[in-house]
This record gives sequence, C-alpha cells and structure tokens, in this order.
Amino acid sequence: MKRMSPKSIAVLSGALAFLASTVADAKDFLVTGIKPDKLVVVDAAARKVDKVYTIPNGGPGPLTITVSPDGKTAYSVVNRWESVSGIDLETGKETFRVDLSSDTERVKIMFGMDVSPDGKELALYESAVKLGLGEYEVQPTRISFYDTANGNKIRSIPAPRQVTVMMYSSDGSKLYGMGRALHVIDPANGNIIKENKTQAWDRSNYYPPDILDVWSQWEQAGIFSTPYYAARSDMSLEDPTAYWTGMLTLDLKTGDFNLVDVENTDIFYFSTVVSPTEPHIAFGVYNNLAKLDMKAGKSLGRGELDHSYYDINISSDGKEVYVGGTMSDIGVYDTTTLKKIGQIDMPDGANMGISSMRVIKR
Amino acid sequence: MKHLKPANKKAAEYASAADEGREEEVRLMQTMVGCTATLDPGWEVDAFGGVAALCQPMEADLYGCADPCWWPAQVADTLNTYPNWNADAPAAQRDWRKLQSVFPEDT
Repeated sequence: MKRMSPKSIAVLSGALAFLASTVADAKDFLVTGIKPDKLVVVDAAARKVDKVYTIPNGGPGPLTITVSPDGKTAYSVVNRWESVSGIDLETGKETFRVDLSSDTERVKIMFGMDVSPDGKELALYESAVKLGLGEYEVQPTRISFYDTANGNKIRSIPAPRQVTVMMYSSDGSKLYGMGRALHVIDPANGNIIKENKTQAWDRSNYYPPDILDVWSQWEQAGIFSTPYYAARSDMSLEDPTAYWTGMLTLDLKTGDFNLVDVENTDIFYFSTVVSPTEPHIAFGVYNNLAKLDMKAGKSLGRGELDHSYYDINISSDGKEVYVGGTMSDIGVYDTTTLKKIGQIDMPDGANMGISSMRVIKR
Repeated sequence: MKHLKPANKKAAEYASAADEGREEEVRLMQTMVGCTATLDPGWEVDAFGGVAALCQPMEADLYGCADPCWWPAQVADTLNTYPNWNADAPAAQRDWRKLQSVFPEDT
C-alpha cells in the first residue's frame, strides 16, 4: 500500500467528515398519496408538506408506494391499479411508467410491489384477466420484473394466489410474499424456497389466524410486521379471553420469522411498524395507537386516536410515530408517552385513503 | 311458492331450486356483484358485534375500502365500471354529498 501524503489524509478526513455530517444531518421525509392523483412529500420534523406532485393518469389516487433505495424516485400504483408511475422526488417529473393492460388482457396490481435493493428492478404482483368477446378468463397470478431504467419487462415468474404485500430480502436474493403463508420466493425463477406457515400453522390449541396486511412500511427497521388474530381451540369461544392478538415479524436481513401473542383481542390494529432503535418494540394503529413488546409478549400501553388511521411509520431515531392514511391528516405521536405531539394536514383536505406512507432520509 | 308463479326461465329455475332445498345456493350465486366476490358486512357491525371497532368516522374508511373494491356491492365500482364516481370528491368528510347512486348505462 502506498503511503498517503499529509495532503491526501487531510482531503480524506474532510471527505469522511462531510459524509458523517451528511448522514447525521439526513432528515426524515414521509412520502404518501392523496386523492385524486397527488404524490405528497412531507418534512416530518418541520411538520409541513414539502412538495405536492401530480401523477399523470393517477386516479383514483396513489395506492401502494415504494421508493428507490437512493430516495430519488417514488413508484406509485395508479390508473385504477393498472399502471405504475415513477416520480422524481426533486423535480416532480414522471421518469418511469408501466401500463400493464392491453386490448386483450386486463392486469391489476394492488399491494404487491417492491424495488430491488440495487434499485434496478421493480417487482409487481400481477392479477391478469383475458378479455374474451363474451367472457373473462382468469389467468394464473404472476410476479413480473421491470427495468427501472426504461420500464421494459425483464421476466415473469409464477406466483401463489392471494399474495398482498411483497418485499425483497436485504440482499435481494429472495422475495417475500404475504399470502396464505409467508412465501419465500426465488426472484430468478419463481421457485418456492420456503413457506413460513400462517393459515396452515401447527400451533396446538389454536385455530388458524386471521391476517389482513396490505401496508408496506418496513423500511425503517428492516423488519416486516403484521398483526394476526387467532382463537384458542381449547377454550370456549364464548370466553373473550380465548381470542388473541399477535405479532408476525420477518427480519428482511436474516429471514428470521417469528409469531408471538401480545394481548387478548379487545381492539384491532390495521397495521404495525417495528422500531428501528428497539427492534423488539412495535406500534400498532387503527382506532387506537398501541406499543407492543414482542420479547415480553405484552402491550406496554395504548391511547385513543382522533379518528381511524390505516398506516403507521416511525422516525429514524425511534422517538415519534406517524399515523396516516384514511382521511386528510398525519398525526405525530411520542413513542414514550403515546401522546399527540403534532399534525400535518394534507393539501385541500384531500383523503389519503389506502395509500402507503413511507419514510425516506434525505 | 304456492302463490307465486314463475314469470320467466330464471324464476322457474329458482322455484325448482326451492323445491329441491337449494335456494341458499341460488342466493349465494346472486351475491356476485361488482368486481370481486367479497361481501363484507363490516360497514354495519364489527367483529365483536358492536360498532366501536368500525372505522371512525365512516368517512375515514370510505375510499380506503371503495377504491380497492372491498365493498363491491355497496358502492360504485371505481376500478372498472364507474372510474369517475368520486373523482370530484377528494375529501369524503367534506364532499360526501357529491357521491351519487349509479345506474347501468345503455350501450
């Protein structure tokens, strides 16, 4: 190795200091959608809307949103779930577009969308129907991969039915699909590498669980999570304590899959998020906001919300959560006290509906 | 069926199904309305038999359920047949009066 000159060391030190300050100064921004066709970027700490962009042919509103790993492009499911639009988050220009349907085939995508960790491929879970003269012919479900550079389809692979959300492993070698099981899929050829059981679980003294998960919000901790609801089969179903709420988690780095009961079911959560600073802690949202300890298997507290919210996400320092979706405001809550500490109103009171709410750092 | 006489072929089929004890099957097939087979009673009652676990207010849930066709029988199908049903009503809590009933159009 060549010896470095004092000047080189000074330049390198300066570069490292700049890099460190850039990382330290990176701010959290929320990316969500509002009706009828707008993509909204929110400065989380400032509690204000930073940018509003119109998505071409974006009705009835952005559904699932995923952001490229470099934080520059937001991909949204739009056009009655038949297209994906990629919007440059700095300029608002549409830099990517795939329109999936044709005269002979109608293709819908809903919640199954993720971008590969290298940013090169966009994976879409497609439900296709052939349009005949007098009949529709349902096609097998599939996952198709599109080149983010030009929108061209690269390949399609067969996929199990009833998959909702879909996410890549951190190294990009696997694709996870949440359906009747948590499928582990080889993105190269569609082979099922493993099935993490849910509907067909073999937990003794439990009926199969109910799981409804359509919200993509695992980027902060790198851990996918969803609540499940299951009844004990060794107890009377007249007994309220026979019903349990649990947390399903999947570590996208290690592939660790875990199920843990956290409380008797007396309220519901539509979606959950895992803390990036305390990975055994999750927060659930719907009509209440709750803090759940997945190591101890218990709730650490809950509070009522102003109205129902679908989405939840969390700041990079783990100190505040953001609740969104449904109506036209994002609520900000302290993760220690679960008290409301802020609110961000959407432009013109437009509803977020079932749009995703993602966090990016810039 | 003593006092009703089938007026067309479909009604006759229904009458014979009733005679064979299969009227539940016929009713089930007729709930296929809209773009999915889902018929979810969640709008009216929650899983506990009450209303506290429903979305609050109902308008908070309207587009989240209507746009993905979760309620195909209850509201217009914005995915396929009535794409502009709520196009000029982006805020359900404010604009709900603009949401109208829909009817099949002559083609």
